Order: sequence, then structure tokens, then C-alpha cells
Amino acid sequence: MKFPENISEIGSLQPDYLGFIFYDKSARCIHTEIPNISERIKKVGVFVNATTETVIKTVLANNLKAVQLHGDESVAYCKVIKQELPEIEIIKVFSIKDEFNFEVLKPFEDTCDYFLFDTKGKLPGGNGYTFNWNILEDYPSTKPYFLSGGIGDSEIEAVLEFSKSKASKYCYAIDVNSKFEIKPGLKDFERVKQFKKQLFSNLATKQHTMSYNVNEQGYYGEFGGAYIPEMLYPNVEELRQNYLKIMAEPSFKEEFDQLLKDYVGRPSPLYFAKRLSEKYNTKIYLKREDLNHTGAHKINNTIGQILMAQRLGKKRIIAETGAGQHGVATATVCALMGLDCIVYMGEIDIARQAPNVARMKMLGATVIPALSGSRTLKDATNEAIRDWINNPVDTHYIIGSVVGPHPYPDMVARFQSVVSQEMEWQLQEKEGRTKPDHVIACVGGGSNAAGAFYQYLDETDVNLIAVEAAGLGIDTGESAATSALGREGIIHGSKTLLMQTDDGQITEPYSISAGLDYPGVGPMHANLFASGRAEFISITDDEAMNAGMELCKLEGIIPAIESSHALAVFKNRKFNPDEVVVLSLSGRGDKDLQNYIDYFKI
Amino acid sequence: MNRINQKLQEDKKLLSIYFTAGYPSLNDTVSIIEDLEKNGVDMIEIGLPFSDPLADGPTIQASSTQALKNGMTTAKLFEQLKDIRKTVSIPLVIMGYFNPMLQYGVDAFCKKCQEIGIDGLIIPDLPVDEYKAHYKETFEKYGLVNVFLITPQTSDERIAFIDDMSNGFIYMVSSASVTGSQSGFGDEQTKYFKRIADMNLKTPQIIGFGINNEETFNQATAYTKGAIIGSAFIKYITENGIKNIGEFTSKIKP
Repeated sequence: MKFPENISEIGSLQPDYLGFIFYDKSARCIHTEIPNISERIKKVGVFVNATTETVIKTVLANNLKAVQLHGDESVAYCKVIKQELPEIEIIKVFSIKDEFNFEVLKPFEDTCDYFLFDTKGKLPGGNGYTFNWNILEDYPSTKPYFLSGGIGDSEIEAVLEFSKSKASKYCYAIDVNSKFEIKPGLKDFERVKQFKKQLFSNLATKQHTMSYNVNEQGYYGEFGGAYIPEMLYPNVEELRQNYLKIMAEPSFKEEFDQLLKDYVGRPSPLYFAKRLSEKYNTKIYLKREDLNHTGAHKINNTIGQILMAQRLGKKRIIAETGAGQHGVATATVCALMGLDCIVYMGEIDIARQAPNVARMKMLGATVIPALSGSRTLKDATNEAIRDWINNPVDTHYIIGSVVGPHPYPDMVARFQSVVSQEMEWQLQEKEGRTKPDHVIACVGGGSNAAGAFYQYLDETDVNLIAVEAAGLGIDTGESAATSALGREGIIHGSKTLLMQTDDGQITEPYSISAGLDYPGVGPMHANLFASGRAEFISITDDEAMNAGMELCKLEGIIPAIESSHALAVFKNRKFNPDEVVVLSLSGRGDKDLQNYIDYFKI
Repeated sequence: MNRINQKLQEDKKLLSIYFTAGYPSLNDTVSIIEDLEKNGVDMIEIGLPFSDPLADGPTIQASSTQALKNGMTTAKLFEQLKDIRKTVSIPLVIMGYFNPMLQYGVDAFCKKCQEIGIDGLIIPDLPVDEYKAHYKETFEKYGLVNVFLITPQTSDERIAFIDDMSNGFIYMVSSASVTGSQSGFGDEQTKYFKRIADMNLKTPQIIGFGINNEETFNQATAYTKGAIIGSAFIKYITENGIKNIGEFTSKIKP
């Protein structure tokens, strides 16, 4: 950009970055002061072999947020800039013609924030034609990159096509320039506007076809929303406005993926359970979330949310927990990041889950007993919400399931979606197809099921089976089978199915499994139930305990009692011999040892 | 004209009292209302008890739990209040969480309120956005004033929106907290009270949360139309019973 009025005009289109060339020999070199534009747009200075002093001076004088280095700048050069201006994003440009040796990128990986791939031509940029993007299929790095070089209106189709290809996996931004110019440095406002609109509406339709997913108002069909007291509005709204943006940031993705890999131990195996398959005469795969660090799927979400909390500048973390699994997963990531951690837990649960209380304390968390109401998970959640009301500025609330006000159900589902993402490629390797015939998962609030279902929500040829806890039996009054016993209502900020009296008072559920012992269910699942998209099955304590013991004997795996509910489906429902069934083994049974001992008198 | 709007036109600072219906005993509701009016209270919030009152501190929580144990329900409350307008003329507001109203049926609930002579509703977990999208017409059809909350963290833009959507008064939460957790107001609150006063909103404001004596009542009403007392009153009747409510009100407004 070069001309003040044109800069303001294009700024009104809210691009993520606006570039200004500080290279004398360019016809686009800016000679005036940059006018005020929205703080949200990052101003980028483009340089070609300038001295580092010039770059630093220019950045400070113009309040630039990024530099794009278009010449033969070395790694050492980039290091100097990074050292002097640690907050500034460095975008190093590489030009590609028909081939490219990706090895040259390696030394720059540690210092640069992004790479930019441009077409090799006479000039250092702005040549006006594209390079062969297929070359990027061999891109060996995970560093996010800008795609540049000759992109104009007539490339929209190609860009959309590219966005579906493997080569685009790390493509972070599209950089446009000369194709939209009336003359060098002067952009055609209308054409840029149209380009952005077309690109976004097409990318958006691609995402919005997921009809069983959340809509923009935070609803899954009739369910969801944010029924929160005004005191919580600023916090929840801050999260709503930022969560997708933050999750899309390359640095976020990179850190999240890295931690899931090196800290959690992902990908979790997709294990073909041979003897179980033989017994039930079908093909059963177990998705081994029980092998994650801390013993369950819960950590996928707490890793995501702690990174989110850091980026929102929060210093204090609160969480609720029932059996203590989510509390432990939260205490774990707080220890990892050095943040204060307060976990609310019902007084009754504290008494019956002593080992997890000890774990949380060892990990540095403060465990506060919830003394109100029935003194279990529902009340711990109430107390956590009250804490958030009392601490509206510095605190982030890590909700452990796909419940709570929008955007929590969607955010937690996205963090857990790694489970079904892995299932897709693991099934491809083992079965030569990405889709199973059935996915089975247990549902309390429903985060494990949300993760296992996520990639298949709109693949209606994949049958989704949600397993609820019937407790002593649906008609006994001691049950947690929300789909069977619940009615539409509001719990913890969300409109969903919940167990309640005729008068609208929330009732106490019962299940032998503390993780399924919740009177509501996430709004995504309420909608899957109401729309008939998922099959809901309820399993009693007895059925679950026996199914859990069966897995021990047949496969040498001691499952969490939550997961045992899912396993009990095989006794209740027939599958064909050639069908592929994936069951999310959400957690391991160590924490339930005492329950198993008591139940089977071991 | 709605009794709330009439009351707001009077040239005085308003004292509004909250209590939980069905507490201390199931059938205390009517006598508490009548006594409050006799003792010069300007407006009453009748709390419809809920099992999971997210925005309330321990005092109101405990009173709700007890009221539910005593057998209070939405239908029961309406039954108790059916003749209330024969004896009471000050504005009456029902304050409660949204789920019990949803189960009763929002239309049926509002209709019943109009029949009885309830003037308005305060529903902390029904945010203004949901209200506007789904329930505004129903509330207005039955002539009910809906009251929204604002807090020190509410942005000016949102306050303007809430002002625009309000047809009675705005419930100004004195500080970031649940009910019953404050003692006295500091500089920060005074600044916040001033800031809101300077916005010259079309809707009068009444302050709640943290008012428990004459001093805090005067501080709160220095910048606003009135103040609401909840937890302090519940505490009083828990300790002293409901026979001598005048002793409590005379300490607030001698």
C-alpha cells in the first residue's frame, strides 16, 4: 500500500495484514506517513536487503507488527531482528519457479515466524503470475506459510481447489498485490472487496454444511445458547469472540499439536480387538484414549484450554470435577504452565475419590469442597461459576465437557475432535477407508462422544451410538439416562435435555460411574438425540461392570467404568460380521479399582 | 401505567426488598409482603426458589433450598398470591431463574403474573439477547416490565443496548460478585456509580448486591433511584423471624 486514502479504504475491509514497501527501488515504495488503521490489522514492512538498523528504525517509527524480508537476508540477519524486536513477526520470502529445494528453509525455522512463497521473476515480488502450487505438496515443515505471487480474481477457483489439497495444510494466509492494482501501489477497492467476499463465502459454505454442528448463534438445532447471568457476559463474550481466531493461529496449532504428541502421547492407537471381535462376530476397533497421559481423553481439552487461557492473558484457572478426572487433567496442565489452579469438587465426591484429590494436591491445585445443594458434580459446577462471577478479570474457567454456555460446547468438541481425526487416517491404514460403520461412545456431559463423533457428524452413513448410564435401571429413580428421562430445560447456561422435576428443579442423577453422573447432556448430543441422528442406548450398572470385566479377560485391558458402559452395547445390539465398529475407550480403570473390587468381591 | 413506572416517578429514593418465597415457612409469603408494605418499603422482589441459583451466594442459596424443602413450587406461589392485590398496592416483581418459568410455560407464566397483578420480572439467567429474540413480545403482551442487570464490567455499548431494551428500571449490580458477599462500598464502586449516572440513561437505575444498612443505602442512592436489599433481609428473618420486620426496615430508612 502506498496512498493514504487508499490505505484507509482497503483497511475498512479488515484484512489480517496490510503490507507497506520500504524499498526505494520499488514503484510501490511508501513515502508518506501510514494513516491510522484498525489495531486489529497487522502492519507489515516489506524490505529488500536493507540494513538491520534501517529495519528496526522503520518498525519502531511506523509501529509495524511484522517484517517481510524479500532479499537475500541470512539467518544471522533474522536473528538480529528477532533479538532486537522479539514481538515482531518475521516473514521470510522464498521464490519458487518450477522447482524448489525445501532444504534451504531449515536453518530459518527457529527464527522466522512464517515463510512466504512467491513467484520467481525479474523483480523481488509483484511480478503478476503464479507458480506451480503443487510443489508445496512436498513441503516438509509445519511452519505456517503465506501463499503469494500473481493471485487475482481469476485465481479464486484455483485457491479454493488448493484449500482442499494436502499442500495447503500449513497455508496460513493468501497474499495479494499486483493483480488488484490500478497503478503500482494503488489497489482497486471494489475488486479487493469482491475477492474477499467470494473467497470467504466459499470457504464458509464449505464449513457450514456440517448441519449437526453448532450455528453462529451457538445453537445445535433447538439446543445450546448462552443462558448466563450478566456478570458472566464479558468473560463468555471475550471467549466467544476469540476462540476460533486463536485456535486458527498457526502458533497455537503448533503448540497444541506438539503437546498432544510429546506430552499426552498422541496419536492414541486404534487397536483391533481380535478376541472381542470373535466373540461378538464383528470387527471391533478400540480407540485407546485410556493410554493418554492422566488416563483419559480429558487431557485433550485441558491442553487446548490452558493454551487458550494463556493467550487471553488469564492468570488463574478454575475447574469443576466429579470423579476427579477432569480436575486431575486441569491440575496437570496448570502445573505444566505454572498457573494457579482451583478445583471445585462436591464434598461427597471428595470423600469417595480420595486418590484423585491427592493427585490434584500433588500437582499443586487447591481443591475446594462444594457444600451447597447435593454436594456433587452439579454443585461443584455451580460453585465454579460463582467463582468466575466473583473473579471476572484474571480467571479462566476450564469446563471439562461439552456443556455450559456457548462457545464452550463447541470449543471443547473441537479440542476433542482430534480423536476422530486420528480415527480417519488410522482406519484408512487398516481398512482402506476413513469411515467406520458405527462409532460407539459413552455420554455423561458428552466430551468423549463429541470427539469420537465429530468428523462423522454429517457423514450420515456412519451410525453414531451414544451410551448413557441407566444406573439401577431407567424406571428405578436411580438413573442418569438423560435422553430417556430428561426434558428440555436450562442447566449451567445451556438449553438442553436435563433431568428435572415437573416444577423445573434439577434432580440428582445416579450412576455407579461418577463420570456419567450428570443430570444434563451437552446440547450437541441433545440435538443428535432429538433429530434421530444418533442412536441412544442406556446401560445399567450391572451390564457395565460385567462388560468391563469381560474386556479385562478377553483383551487384557482394564477399562474405566464410563467406557465399560460403551462396551456393554455388544451384548445389547447385533452388528454384522463385515461391519467396522469403532469404540472410544475413553479412559483406563485404575481410578475405579475400588469399585471393581467392591462389586466383584475380588 | 404499570405500578413500577408510577413508583419510579415519585420524588424519593426507593427501597426495594427481596425475599425467597416459602421461607422461612411455606405460608409466610403473603404476611411478609403485607408487612413490608406497612413498613414503608417501596417495592418487593418475590424470589421464586430454584435448585441451582448460580448468581446467588450462600444466604439466598440456603433460603432457596429450605423453601423447596418446605414444598414451594411455581403453582403454589401463584396460589398464595392470588388475592394479593386486595391488600397490597406497591409494585411486586418476581425474581427467579429461567428454568422453572420455562417448565411452567413462558406464556402461561406471564399470563398468570398479569392475572395476579405482578408488575415485572427479574430473570438473571435470561440474557437480553435471548429475551429480545424469543420472549420480548410475550412479556409485553402481558404488560410485564422486564429488568436487566448491569455490572462494573458491562461495556458502555452493551449498557446502551440494555437501556434501549428496558421498560422499567435497570438492576445495577454493585460489584463483581454473587449476592450477599459485600460489606460496604469503596472508591471503585463510587466511581462506577458516577460513571453510570453520567451516561444519562433513559431508564432509571436501582442498585443491588451489598446493601445492608443505612450507610450503604445512602451511598447507593446518592447516584441512583433506589436500592435493593436481599441477603441482609434473609439473614435478619433467619435470625429474628418475621414478626417484627419494621425493626429491620427502620434501620435502613429511619
